[in-house]
Amino acid sequence: MERKQLFLFFMGLLAFAQVFGQRDSVIVLDEVILSDAKLLHFSKGTKVKVVSDSTQQKNGTSLTDLLRYNSNIYFKENGYGMVSSASFRGTNAQQTAVVWNGININSQLTGQTDFNTLIPGNYGDVVVRSGGGSVQYGSGAVGGTILLNDSFKFNDGWKNTLLTSYGSFKTGKLAFSTSLGKEKTFFHIGIDHITSDNDYKYLGTDRRNKNGAYDQLNVNANVGFILSDGRILKLYHNTFSGDRDFSGTLAAPADENYRDLNHRSLIELGSFDQRRVARLKVGHLYERYRYFPNKQREEYSFGQANTVLANYDYKYQFNKIALNGIVDVSSIWAKGTSIENAQRKYASATFLFTHELSDKWDYGVNLRQEIVSDYQSPFLFSMNSSYKVTKDYLISMNASKNYRIPTFNDLYWSGAGASGNLDVLPETSWQVELGQTIKVGNIDLTLNGYSITTDNLIQWRPNAQGIWMAMNVQDVSQYGLELGLDWKRKWGDQELVWESEYTFTKSIDNETNKQLLYVPEHMLRSNLAYQYKKLVAFYQFLYNGSVFTTTDNSGTLPSYTVSNIGLDYHWPRISKIKFVLGLKVNNLFNKNYQNVAYRPMPNRNFQLQLITKF
Amino acid sequence: MKIRNVFLSLMIIGLFWSCSNDDGEIQEPLGDYANGILVSNEGPFSNGTGTVSFISGDLSVVNNGIYKLTNGEDLGTVVQSIGFTEDEAFIVANVSNRINVVNRYTFEKIESITEGLNNPRYFVEANGKGYVTNWGDTADETDDFVAVINLQNYTVEGTISVVMGPEAILAKGDMVYVAHQGAWGQNNKVSVINTTSNEVEKTLTIGDVPNSMQLDASGNLWVLASGKPAYTGDETAGVLSKINTVTNEVDTNIQFETTQHPGSLNFDRGALYYILGDKVLQQSLSSTTLSMETVLEGFGFYTMVVNNGRLYGTDAGDYASKGTLTIYDLNTKLAIDALTVGIVPGGVYFN
Repeated sequence: MERKQLFLFFMGLLAFAQVFGQRDSVIVLDEVILSDAKLLHFSKGTKVKVVSDSTQQKNGTSLTDLLRYNSNIYFKENGYGMVSSASFRGTNAQQTAVVWNGININSQLTGQTDFNTLIPGNYGDVVVRSGGGSVQYGSGAVGGTILLNDSFKFNDGWKNTLLTSYGSFKTGKLAFSTSLGKEKTFFHIGIDHITSDNDYKYLGTDRRNKNGAYDQLNVNANVGFILSDGRILKLYHNTFSGDRDFSGTLAAPADENYRDLNHRSLIELGSFDQRRVARLKVGHLYERYRYFPNKQREEYSFGQANTVLANYDYKYQFNKIALNGIVDVSSIWAKGTSIENAQRKYASATFLFTHELSDKWDYGVNLRQEIVSDYQSPFLFSMNSSYKVTKDYLISMNASKNYRIPTFNDLYWSGAGASGNLDVLPETSWQVELGQTIKVGNIDLTLNGYSITTDNLIQWRPNAQGIWMAMNVQDVSQYGLELGLDWKRKWGDQELVWESEYTFTKSIDNETNKQLLYVPEHMLRSNLAYQYKKLVAFYQFLYNGSVFTTTDNSGTLPSYTVSNIGLDYHWPRISKIKFVLGLKVNNLFNKNYQNVAYRPMPNRNFQLQLITKF
Repeated sequence: MKIRNVFLSLMIIGLFWSCSNDDGEIQEPLGDYANGILVSNEGPFSNGTGTVSFISGDLSVVNNGIYKLTNGEDLGTVVQSIGFTEDEAFIVANVSNRINVVNRYTFEKIESITEGLNNPRYFVEANGKGYVTNWGDTADETDDFVAVINLQNYTVEGTISVVMGPEAILAKGDMVYVAHQGAWGQNNKVSVINTTSNEVEKTLTIGDVPNSMQLDASGNLWVLASGKPAYTGDETAGVLSKINTVTNEVDTNIQFETTQHPGSLNFDRGALYYILGDKVLQQSLSSTTLSMETVLEGFGFYTMVVNNGRLYGTDAGDYASKGTLTIYDLNTKLAIDALTVGIVPGGVYFN
């Protein structure tokens, strides 16, 4: 008996030790599986919001729709579904970085991302990281960064989701996603096809959005292999193909068409043990647009850019300190109707450091320097810290220097009446931020205040000869407050989730003291979701304050409110198949509003959606 | 001090008018738009409307956005120019493919011409008809035309096919002269249209990129061509040409340097004026070489009009805010007044 007990004891100990040992490597594996671990370790003290995949499915037609109602970003859309540019904390579209699996994908030609050319729904998560992040995420991470991360779910079985939806203006979506997660291999492919006539009424007129149809195809595909206990191989791919007619305005009709094509591919080899994580990434990004000024004709202008990049990332952890060094090299070449073959070579070195001083207090210091073939790049840094005053009260702060690089258009454009400027400098920006998070019962309160100063803003202006050129003409400042309130309550079969955010944003030209174009001073959004058994009802509300449409603040666009409402019914399973039937009413109160002058947004419209999971 | 106060209060009046224009609610009695200056403001290129400003003859009152104020609607995107008949003004909105016809003194709308135009640029009246230059589709170099407008029912009743990029248009007797600047490209022609037959009688070759024309007191037509800009990779010199309107032959060509690209030709009190770089220069009619006499220096006008001893220069600023019109006395070469007008002021006319 005794021997048996002793044996059991040892067995138990062994098992315990094994569990312990495994747990460590599981934690590391969890980290290696992440496409962007910089967020995990080196973004403490910054405001980060994760938009879940279920939220993505509720607003899954475009990244604009998703973030408009789930983040503090203001979007300007040239009519619904048309070119959409973000203004994050009062900055401009080129000062908002979009990062796909750790790689900055802002256009090399325009420096910005059209948020209507990214389709959420297939990403593991969409993360909104407010504030400066150029050290970690490169050019444009001034106002904030949007991170699109694929997730690799090993040991997750075979899962399929089919989403079909149809509604007003013949808007239809068909999305299929299948993933297979075994112990050592993972495979996922998601395909979305969205079409719409988009011929909504211009409220208050007898006209419609005549030239606004779109057709979009998006593919996300990922494969992962755990090669051995310390090695993992991951492949990522995304293709987006969009064909849009560009809407006219209230004052002028349009006959334009615009086609986007993007390919993004990435191979990542990870090697790790308890202390070390090394990753080698090799990637290729391709972007191309074709603009047809008259869609009845064959002529078009185009631009395209290829980026080949490699990056080696080595992280070392000892006790409470994590050190991370990253070396990036990339080569970009672009051509187009107005850009002769132009090339840029680029190398950068990044050093990230974080230290947990205690359970309560951590801080980090991050540095980056790059060498670029065609302009002088500034030294970048960021410092961040968070301190847990009590269990329910957290203070965080960060300060950083960030930048926005000149685009290929800024440097190499050559066309009628406009010209690139090889002397243009990167925009440099300094910022500080203070944040607080307080938990009171079921309520989470966040309050963030920030201040940003940007020098050498790049703008296109006519020179003395009347030729439009990129120039460093303006210094601007932003400061603002963001107040968030999340409340959750569950009782019996019911659950109520209320999530709101108010933002106050000043964005001013340092010389004239005028508010910059298209930055609302006040914004309020609020989402309320109520669940009773298998029924989920939700309400989305957005108040967008008035904005100026001229730099002298003589022209304004009025404020507006938009409300959307939706109802989802989770059908009882039929032989392991789950159904979710949803109805959504957008612009419930049929408000006539514009977020870009003379470009009306849709009237009240309906969308019916069926999600099948098997 | 006093003058400054007066100036400030005038500015405030100007702002007040512009505010009421934006709101589109407050309608003040405006009286007559006769005896003053009209400024056409292109407006923002992609999301908005152009406007017209009225400035009283004594420069004391500025009313911005008078078309909307009178008619409660927008003019259209990129108000390129205004052409006149005796009683009417034809306001050409380029991107909107629209001409709004108004009574030139009350600014009350008579009609909108929306059919038969494609990238309209400038209007002139000749022989009882209206003639409007049109680029057509800019991708097509062969569909450019001059639209013939019936001035009784305000419709396009015919088109005259012309070479690429018709821009400035001017009438003398039964003849209409069209300068072919070349739309988004470059051209170097002047079309001579006989309005009795509505046919192109002659196409003259002059300097590259002709941008403006003037008739002098003896009936000669002066055409100023800027030359091809450097970015074309084939930079050419500006040319000032004199055309005999009796024979319709080019009489003289006066060459600039290859890197000199003049524009905005004006004729006033027996002399020609034009812009070169940041200078306004004067040219005597009799000279066969460039006189290069500097009138004003250090200004980058968006548009310049010389009239009756005064120079009216506009400044579009950053192209996203209200522009200004500055008026200079050519004798003293001093600014008389600077007035806030609309966004991108591109045309100055005298009513």
